[in-house]
Amino acid sequence: MSHSRRWPIWPLLLAVPIVCAGALLTGAAGLPDWHTPLGRAVLELRLHRILTGLVVGAGLAGAGVVMQALLRNPLAEPYVLGVSSGAGLGAALAVFFGWSAMHLLAVPAAAFVTGIVTLTIVYFLAARGGGASIYGLLLSGIIVSAVLSNLLMLIVSLAPAEGMHSILWWILGNLQLSAQPLLLTGGALVLGALIILTMLGAQLNALTLGREAAHHLGVRTGLMIAGCLALATLLAATAVALAGLIGFVGLIVPHAARAWVGPDHRKLPGVAAIIGGLFLVVCDTVARTIVAPQEIPIGVVTALVGGPFFLALLLRRRKGGWIE
Amino acid sequence: MSAAVICRNVSAGYRQQPVLHDISLTIQAGQMVALLGPNGAGKSTLLRVLTGLQPLTGGEVELFGRDLRQLRATERARLVAVVPQEVTTPMAFTVAELVALGRSVPRGRWAGLAATDRQAVEQALAYTDTLELRDRYYSELSGGEKQRAIIAMALAQEPQLLLLDEPTSHLDINHRLEVLQLLERLNRERGLTVVMTSHDLNLAAEFFPQLALLDHGRIAATGAPAEVLREELLEEVYHCKLAVRRDATGVLMILPTRTGTAPTGKRVHVICGGGSGVEVLRRLCLAGWQVSCGALNQGDTDAQTALALGVTTALEKPFSPLSAGVLATAGQLAQAADVIVVCEVPFGSGNVKNLDVARQAGKPVLLNTRQVAVRDFTPQREVPAMIRTLVERGATSWEHVSDLLIELEKVR
Repeated sequence: MSHSRRWPIWPLLLAVPIVCAGALLTGAAGLPDWHTPLGRAVLELRLHRILTGLVVGAGLAGAGVVMQALLRNPLAEPYVLGVSSGAGLGAALAVFFGWSAMHLLAVPAAAFVTGIVTLTIVYFLAARGGGASIYGLLLSGIIVSAVLSNLLMLIVSLAPAEGMHSILWWILGNLQLSAQPLLLTGGALVLGALIILTMLGAQLNALTLGREAAHHLGVRTGLMIAGCLALATLLAATAVALAGLIGFVGLIVPHAARAWVGPDHRKLPGVAAIIGGLFLVVCDTVARTIVAPQEIPIGVVTALVGGPFFLALLLRRRKGGWIE
Repeated sequence: MSAAVICRNVSAGYRQQPVLHDISLTIQAGQMVALLGPNGAGKSTLLRVLTGLQPLTGGEVELFGRDLRQLRATERARLVAVVPQEVTTPMAFTVAELVALGRSVPRGRWAGLAATDRQAVEQALAYTDTLELRDRYYSELSGGEKQRAIIAMALAQEPQLLLLDEPTSHLDINHRLEVLQLLERLNRERGLTVVMTSHDLNLAAEFFPQLALLDHGRIAATGAPAEVLREELLEEVYHCKLAVRRDATGVLMILPTRTGTAPTGKRVHVICGGGSGVEVLRRLCLAGWQVSCGALNQGDTDAQTALALGVTTALEKPFSPLSAGVLATAGQLAQAADVIVVCEVPFGSGNVKNLDVARQAGKPVLLNTRQVAVRDFTPQREVPAMIRTLVERGATSWEHVSDLLIELEKVR
């Protein structure tokens, strides 16, 4: 007989500048001197990583919220329908064929495009004539994912040593990868997609009752599912293009966001984006300081933090905004 | 009165398998209609057609004078709301949040009518008596509470037509009544048109002034309960034996009858009346006896039972003394029987001649001898003597139905 408990959003908003300031002032080089060129460069570098972390975390978490709502499954995440393996394959191809050496944006562009193409293929495989069903999507997503992952492994095995290292680094995720114009474009895309998703929040709420119930409530379900999938893919592909394949964020942050504000999708994309951004900034700070001057891949940190966190959430899932 | 729903020659189906054939049906605004029919008759498909979930393969559907295919999703949601058998959501919505989903889609060009939305939600909660559940999690409610919450969600749409797909099939009898009374109130107080599919013929007969019976994707009958719930029609549609009766207060009751006991070929004639034979007749029929009965007056409880069980009965006009003709029929039935059973029936001048029938048939008699004097209402107090005569001639006496059945086993 538990009653609902929801928390306000303002503490999260308040946490953003605090966490960012903390991350800016922490690092292998200690507290840098603003007056020296070297100090300014260090601060600029850290600021770039913080902003990338906010954008990538927001993108992954927002995409996770949408996937879990559309697929009505607590284990859904942005990568479940093959965006990650598609983007991974694209990036690996770009490295393998040497495009990455020709242009700075070759790897992110290849990842972005192949990620979106993959999800389009998955969607049309699942739809085959009519609208795509949840199980159809999951099934075709898993199959396409499996095929692409193995192609990725093939390329990794064929790649020369230094190429393999950069592919691996990319698969594990890294906030330092992105170039500045790319960050701006990606930030704008993520912000835009999150705003549209927030406006569609009430209809996403209805879709969690299932496709037919949402239809009865006046939702144009086919259009909504396709549109939200497209937005989620855009979010995930942008995040992947900016920072490689960072796992766990898109899976656990939506759960944390629901635990905070409840299952209302008019608030969830925004709240998940804030939590996701903060989470990545913290994880990145840990990744670049814990064994300084060495740096560990951020994907390792998110997994090490995320695993136990997710377990704890599962153990008290009734209050976590997801009821079996 | 305007029409809420008009189906003109509607056909629909799944892929190669047509489910609805050429259905024409009009439902007036403000009516309460139950869609009945066996599994697979097309009830749910018809509901899905009305909500636009199921595409038509032929014909057309009009909702409140507008072609369903021309309605936009938002307009449709304002006209029609649906309560399915069960709604599940993986999300931990509270009841208030769930009911607010009824307003998922913006109502007009100007989406900012938040106050109106809130008011609709509050009203829906109040109407369905779910105000005190508002902060509880939907998934933790009981079946009846869940169904009320879903109805509240549908009401928050402020529809003119409410479609319910077997909303009570998961509920116990108490919560069924609760849901049906709620629908009745909504119909009466708000003029809401209610269309519900159901397997419960009895509740449908009690709560719905209009019924439509579907069979194999066609309309088998429409009209008031008494017109639709006819024995021969129901037996044809449901492919089983059943009895339609009215109870003392005039409520229609549809009772399935057990069949399939192997007949023994032995015949028994039962003399009863005033309800003394109800259990005996039923038990004998179940045991596979070929039963006849009489003489009885039409309208007698036992006569109704006999009729429902398909027992051959010698019938006299209501409230009349048994005439010679009817007694002769009873005599023939008694002579054709292998054994005669006399129940714990009160005797008066009207029916006492049945004892002569038992005596003259010359068959073994199983005679109820309980409180004979109390049951004697003849002017000359002749019953005890007649009973004694029967016993002297070899009639076996019994007092309880279980004893009777044991005695009958011996005859067999």
